[in-house]
Amino acid sequence: MSAIHLKSLVKRFGPFTALKTMDMEIADGEFMALLGPSGCGKSTTMNMIAGMEAPTEGRILFGDRDVTQVPMGQRGVGFVFQNYAIFTHMSVRQNLDYGLRMKGVDPGPKTAAMAELLGLTDLLDRPSAGLSVNILQRLAIGRSAIMEPAIFLLDEPLSNVDAAFRAVMRTELKALQRQFRQTMVYVTHDQLEAMTMADRIAVMDHGVLQQVGTPLEIYDRPANTFVASFIGSPAMNLIPGEIRGGAFTAPGVEIPGFAAADGPVTLGFRAEDAQVAASGEIQAPVYSMELLGDSSMATLQLGSKSFAAIKAAKDFKVEIGENLAVRAPARICHLFDAQTGQRLSGAKP
Amino acid sequence: MTLGFRLTLPAQVLVLFISLFPLLMQLYISLTDWSPLAGTPWPRAWEFWNTFANYTDIPGDTRLWAALGRTALVMAVCVPVEFLLGLGLGLLFVDDFPGKRLAYSLLIMPMMVVPAVAGYMFFMLFQSGGPVNDILSWFSPTPVTIAWLSDPTLALVAVMAADIWQWTPLMFLILLAGLVGVPQDQLRAATLLGASPWQRFRTIVLPRMKVIITIALAIRAIEAFKIFDTLFIMTGGGPGVATETISVYFYKITTQDLVWGYVAALALFILVALSIAAVWAMKRMAK
Amino acid sequence: MTRALLRTLAILAALAFTLVPILWMISMAFKPFAEWQASGADLTWWPKAPTLDNFRYLFGLGTNELISMLDRTAMKPILSSLLSASVGTLIAMTCGTAAAYGLSRFGSGQNLPLALIQLRLFPPMAVMIPVMMMWAFLGLMDTWFGLALVYGIVTLPFAFWLMKTFFDDMPREIEEAALVEGCTRWRVFTRVTLPMMAAPLAAAALFVFILNWSDYLIALLLTTREWVTIPVYMASLSSSMTGQLYGAKAALGLIAAVPPVVLGVLIQKHLVRGLTFGALKQ
Repeated sequence: MSAIHLKSLVKRFGPFTALKTMDMEIADGEFMALLGPSGCGKSTTMNMIAGMEAPTEGRILFGDRDVTQVPMGQRGVGFVFQNYAIFTHMSVRQNLDYGLRMKGVDPGPKTAAMAELLGLTDLLDRPSAGLSVNILQRLAIGRSAIMEPAIFLLDEPLSNVDAAFRAVMRTELKALQRQFRQTMVYVTHDQLEAMTMADRIAVMDHGVLQQVGTPLEIYDRPANTFVASFIGSPAMNLIPGEIRGGAFTAPGVEIPGFAAADGPVTLGFRAEDAQVAASGEIQAPVYSMELLGDSSMATLQLGSKSFAAIKAAKDFKVEIGENLAVRAPARICHLFDAQTGQRLSGAKP
Repeated sequence: MTLGFRLTLPAQVLVLFISLFPLLMQLYISLTDWSPLAGTPWPRAWEFWNTFANYTDIPGDTRLWAALGRTALVMAVCVPVEFLLGLGLGLLFVDDFPGKRLAYSLLIMPMMVVPAVAGYMFFMLFQSGGPVNDILSWFSPTPVTIAWLSDPTLALVAVMAADIWQWTPLMFLILLAGLVGVPQDQLRAATLLGASPWQRFRTIVLPRMKVIITIALAIRAIEAFKIFDTLFIMTGGGPGVATETISVYFYKITTQDLVWGYVAALALFILVALSIAAVWAMKRMAK
Repeated sequence: MTRALLRTLAILAALAFTLVPILWMISMAFKPFAEWQASGADLTWWPKAPTLDNFRYLFGLGTNELISMLDRTAMKPILSSLLSASVGTLIAMTCGTAAAYGLSRFGSGQNLPLALIQLRLFPPMAVMIPVMMMWAFLGLMDTWFGLALVYGIVTLPFAFWLMKTFFDDMPREIEEAALVEGCTRWRVFTRVTLPMMAAPLAAAALFVFILNWSDYLIALLLTTREWVTIPVYMASLSSSMTGQLYGAKAALGLIAAVPPVVLGVLIQKHLVRGLTFGALKQ
């Protein structure tokens, strides 16, 4: 077990900068999710932690040990690939004890113990080709775990799994992490995976670390408009407008009670925090209605280009084009700088 | 007649034409002493009927067995050398480096040179006043004037060098295609689990290349067994019979000794032996 | 760093081993008569006085006082090689493509794959006697078309196997769509499939052409004077007075070597497939 310290890490591929100066601390035993859209630098970060790629600048420490120059085979990290990279020409057992055999160590009872832990005992002598995807995931984890790595890295292990099975795999993965108690870094582009499993989430975009925090922090206090729109389903409503005398105004919107200075801002609030009411801060025509099952979603048109989604009861009925009043008081709202998108203080009283 | 049958018909006719017809003719001639010098056309070869005499001559044909042994020697040296060189080169070409495409195109050139032309090329190279000796002279205090092609042992070496020159690129080409197909993630996974380069090669690369290696070796072994063009132009099978392989021996008894009855018997014998070997090899491969 | 250096050195060594013989032939092709046989200290790696005389000599356009004019120029053998290799390619590709399509789509001719591999397995020497007897009987000896017919049969396995893997790889949906539109199977083959396969067909044809062009043994047995091909003709390039005509041979060798090398580069990405009977697709 070991903490990970990334110090001023930079990665450039020729003229392209994949990662701009990144500093991050991952605590011992923590489950950290690196979350972001493709091309955001999360995989590059992970590959540098594993040693598959060398950083252009900066250092990587595992605890007190500087591993920046240590080749990938000697860092003591376990890695689960997106496609699991199971050695399909070997049996399950040969996969499990591969690392030990290569080290010249007699696996002894370790293989059986690991198989027992992962529920693979009955499959030990089966060829690994053609096994189902959750077995492959367990095998990939077990193959690394048997080496007792200080750090576990997982590269989008659920992206090849069909949606129906993902929930099962998520639960299983979280349970495995609790068993092993290792530091885990988990790369994903799926905010749901990050929210449900991680202790903390690092949100990345365009090679820049946007925000690090617990899932709740990230959800409740997004650091900027990117995080606000990337986390949550549906994405947070973002409405351009301006503050005038402590009140936010935009077409159809008038919310008093802000402490921010006058000027253009972007207002954000979540669909589930607002409420349909007889009267409210927002008055706008309904653009569309969707039934989600447990609830329904009304989308209001604010001005010519701006929309806001509002969650309502599942039996809520309204005609398209009809005006709707919505309660969205300042305490549920976030304010962001209109230019930089950074969170402004004074959003919540 | 279905369209499928009509489409395959021309190929079937050609196959039949080249297999069944010659087979029957060969079978007929092989039971006689007929020769193109006999003065009678071949349909009347029965006039020279000698039953199985040609076949019973085969075991005692020392020149044949020597030629077969020499062919086996060429195969035993050239195929493994070409394989190892091709594999080594292939390993160098797995990663990218500047100039890779050009180097690749240049390295596979020899296999596209007409073998007969390669023969003339190496004939010139191995002249006693030729460039090979000139290069060797750089490392020797006195000028080297080895008569490569008139020394029985060295002639064989020269012939094998030419074969290796021409066909290592084929091994390289095929094996590189296989090497590139080894999944990168598996190699990385093995590295992360602490496997050394040699261990990765032995446990991941080789098992994944098994089929490709078998194909490459089989193709080269078959072609090396048939070795003729380059060798014949370089040495004509000589000096004496020092480089006489099975194809050269066939050529000589066909065009010089003209004992066609015996050649036919020998051809059938080789065909049967090769068929048995092929069936045996395929069964082993299937396992 | 050192690994990259070692790799560079190894590749340079391989390149030297590969290229020196070819460069020697190129150099020889442009050497004047006096330099052909220069050896020892006089050996010239690169012609001191480069000349096109060797090429002129081959086509009867000039000679050296020491070498008599050729009574037969290289023109006819080049023509013979071109004709027999092209027509042989045409035969192999026509029969091979049709049969490959028949097997790939209709399952006809199940015996062909193995039969054709066997054909390739056996040394041509072992079937040449009956062929020579038949060819003499049919008056096909020493003709370009007699040679082309044998070439067509010998390279049929390659044409068949290459086209079979290409057809197997081709998606069927387009053909099925054309069938639904009411086209006959034959029309689908000629109007839909073949045009779609133009590039693979060309690659396969070039590959087969290289093989035919490269032959020596069959031409050696089946042609004697009128229609000898380049490699057979090359043996006659020696004179009683001066022995081997190295320069002329090298010049002709260069002419013979250029088409396959150029075509080989053109179809580089299909070479593996062709050489392994489609077992590897690269």
